[in-house]
Amino acid sequence: MDIQFTGEHLLPGKLGQFFVILSFGTSLIALFSYYFATTNKDKLDNSWQKIARFAYRLNLLAIIGIGVCLFYIIYNHLFEYHYAWAHSSKTLPVYYIISCFWEGQEGSFWLWTFWQGILGVILTFRAKSWENSVMTVMALSQVFLTSMLLGVEIFGTRIGSSPFILLRDAMDAPIFSRADYLSLIQDGNGLNPLLQNYWMVIHPPTLFLGFASMVVPFAYGVAAVWEKRYADWIKPAMPWTLFAVMILGTGIIMGSFWAYEALNFGGFWAWDPVENASIIPWLTLIAGVHVMIAFKNSGHSYFTALFLVIISFVLVLYASFLTRSGILGETSVHAFTSAGLDIQLLTYLAVFFTIPMVLIIKNWKELPITKKDEDTYSREFWLFIGAIVLVVSCIQIIATTSIPVFNSIFGTQIAPPTNVIQHYNKWQIAFAFTIATISAFSQFLKYKKTDVRKFYISLAVTFVVSLLITGAVVFIVDIYKNVMYILLTWAAIFSILCNAKLLGEAIKGKWKLSGSAVAHIGFALLLVGALVAAANSKIISVNNSNIGFGDEFAKSNNPRENIILYKNEPVKMNKYTVTYLGDSTEGVNIYYQVNYKVIDEEGKVKENFTLTPNAQQNAKLKQIVASPDTKHYLLHDVYTHVSSVPLKEEAHEAHEGHSDDEDYQTPVVHEVSIGDTVRFRGGYILVKSVNRNATIKDIPLTANDVAIGMNLEIKTDKVNTTAEPIFLIKGNTKVDFGKKVDEAGLKLRFSNILPDKDKLELTVYEKPKAERKDWVVMKAIVFPYINLFWGGTIIMVIGFILSIFRRFKEVKTA
Amino acid sequence: MKKSSIIGMIIIAIAIGVIISTYADSSTYGSFKDAQETQKELHVVGKLMKDKDMVYNPQQDANYFSFYMKDNKGKECKVVFTGTKPTDFEKSEQIVLTGQMQDGSFHANKILMKCPSKYNQNQIEITEIKAQAKG
Repeated sequence: MDIQFTGEHLLPGKLGQFFVILSFGTSLIALFSYYFATTNKDKLDNSWQKIARFAYRLNLLAIIGIGVCLFYIIYNHLFEYHYAWAHSSKTLPVYYIISCFWEGQEGSFWLWTFWQGILGVILTFRAKSWENSVMTVMALSQVFLTSMLLGVEIFGTRIGSSPFILLRDAMDAPIFSRADYLSLIQDGNGLNPLLQNYWMVIHPPTLFLGFASMVVPFAYGVAAVWEKRYADWIKPAMPWTLFAVMILGTGIIMGSFWAYEALNFGGFWAWDPVENASIIPWLTLIAGVHVMIAFKNSGHSYFTALFLVIISFVLVLYASFLTRSGILGETSVHAFTSAGLDIQLLTYLAVFFTIPMVLIIKNWKELPITKKDEDTYSREFWLFIGAIVLVVSCIQIIATTSIPVFNSIFGTQIAPPTNVIQHYNKWQIAFAFTIATISAFSQFLKYKKTDVRKFYISLAVTFVVSLLITGAVVFIVDIYKNVMYILLTWAAIFSILCNAKLLGEAIKGKWKLSGSAVAHIGFALLLVGALVAAANSKIISVNNSNIGFGDEFAKSNNPRENIILYKNEPVKMNKYTVTYLGDSTEGVNIYYQVNYKVIDEEGKVKENFTLTPNAQQNAKLKQIVASPDTKHYLLHDVYTHVSSVPLKEEAHEAHEGHSDDEDYQTPVVHEVSIGDTVRFRGGYILVKSVNRNATIKDIPLTANDVAIGMNLEIKTDKVNTTAEPIFLIKGNTKVDFGKKVDEAGLKLRFSNILPDKDKLELTVYEKPKAERKDWVVMKAIVFPYINLFWGGTIIMVIGFILSIFRRFKEVKTA
Repeated sequence: MKKSSIIGMIIIAIAIGVIISTYADSSTYGSFKDAQETQKELHVVGKLMKDKDMVYNPQQDANYFSFYMKDNKGKECKVVFTGTKPTDFEKSEQIVLTGQMQDGSFHANKILMKCPSKYNQNQIEITEIKAQAKG
């Protein structure tokens, strides 16, 4: 193109692209230098290491440079760049500019690369004798990640997708033939409203830190086999593994909290493929942590530990492939659309799976795998079993989540289960039960050998107590009808008791040993919380008032979960009296005030709170994006979101050829006799009598004219009135004079006389219920005991932190 | 036999069970014609017929939404959904329904739509920009 475009700012993009190339180059240099540093026979020569360290640290600087350039572009609304145009807009508040980073694929890859850069730099300071080999693996991973941002064509194929691509290069549109095209682009596409939430500012960075930190234990595992330091890696890798598990776990739960607080799917976990993709590696690494501990203390489970640590990172890559390749397509609502990086991602995956497998197979005979059998009454045995159960539970999640992958490989047409949540719960509740039970009794086991009698004695008391508590709990939280629920609750309570006992002993002596007990208690609480909140969540906005389309339908299908509220008309919902009070606008959001009251029999108000679920109305797109509002109590939450609201701009539509009857619904014609009752939506009409001598104002009647009035009595809950529509035969013409009964929203016409049937014809016009525009359709759910879920999570994270301290100290003292 | 090999076999057994269960639970993609012939729930992929009636009148029933869809084989069918109308429904490019046929209409209990959402990339609002360019 030879056009001189005006108004473009090309410097930040050029600079950014330079940093992209620099980051790729430095990670390559770091890779080769660390490789030669590792294979170098002369241990005193650290020149390779020096180059490598410099390259890796420079790499981090380059990545920060990319971030700064990208931020500058978005912050200054430079819409000549595709990324800024696609993901931001001028009206976006500054604090959400951060969120623009991870709305697109490039930005979220940048985030991952950034964390991996930081973790690598920390390792260059801390890894000591492990630095060269571990950093070789890290640098290799960095080569792959930085290549995702390259956006350079090599031999006709585009490698990576650069965030600095110009809008006019990314798209074909006629306006780009104009030199001043920029002046025509007023604003960017803006950020997805669902991402405009404070949780979206911190959830992705946490999640990606979790993903990124999983490469560290992986690198240690690979380095161990490569350098033939088979057993030494466990200790230094331990704090990193715990760190990865803690951060990823926190990130996942934050996502779950975001879904609960900001999305309107009515829950905190939906087994969506994207959610599954993040929880799979978390579960395998949790399993990995347990067998690493088993190996450290007993020498058993070496291969399992190594394999799990390696496969966890491979599964992180698989998860990225699932969410970023667009392969999930029809099964997930919130996966990315493809950015053409599939081949690159698959290569990344293949390389990171093949290298460790080749190394393991090559050194198989040398690996410290015990031939001895574990004792059944030993802790290492049950740590192993627990890990295996976790793995099997993962296999189940992977199997169902990967259906689209299976379809595209084998060309099949399998659809996911119709009730996905039930499908997963069926299996996962059983697995959770097993894991919780193992995490309970294995606390009383010792490494190598346990005194069986002592074991059963100490277990017996806790067992009986747990049964009693379970009995009470299942009745209080009302889940005693389902055997699996009862079993899981028991297992969780059993686990809490066993670990609490351990905690009691640990606190007396060394509090740092209490990490695992605290984490297990947190996990058990989380299980109970999730179970009760999900199993017993109750939709209270069930619509009983109008069954317009038949009862059968309601029974055989979904319950009618949405309810319409008119302004200032209280509706009884469960124990709440709910009133829609009105709305207020704040920026792009409209907040709907919904008041909840609990009034006891004496008329006293016992609870009174107002929720303001909001919806972003986009006038241009005629759509709403709803976010819920939740009243949090200690023991339950009341959750509310609007599902449909009147669109604002419709209120001012002008009508042409406006006729009176348009205000009414389609009229209903009734053939009546005196004494009949005619029903309408708001009440009924009684045909009292016929007045043969009716008179009509302003119309003189001659002897030949016949004017007949129909005396009607109209009754609704509020109105009790009469009306007399008149039927007139004047000469040869029939005319009728209808009557309006505005207080009942009616117009009544005596529209004909049917002598052959001996009937009178009454036509009823009824106004649609909401002539008023002020209504909302909403859904309300009560989540009982959901705080156990969040509280359990926090306790679990505290447990992880305690464990990290402990394992970190072990590394130092070693 | 070593204990770990016994465990290994148990794992393989469970894993096979899991995979069989995934198959047993899994549904199929079908057409409206398939739906008429079976009582099972299935997935139907198709396109919204924008020129036909779409009913959602919350003031009458907040939980009734009906529309017409043409499946990938070209067959039209009325679809009834117990719930509110999904936002942006008119813009959907493709719809995936889960449900079954009842009395001549397809009763969906889940609707998944693919939208050319403005948040997806590479869809410049050309019409608007063109209009501005002319003016």
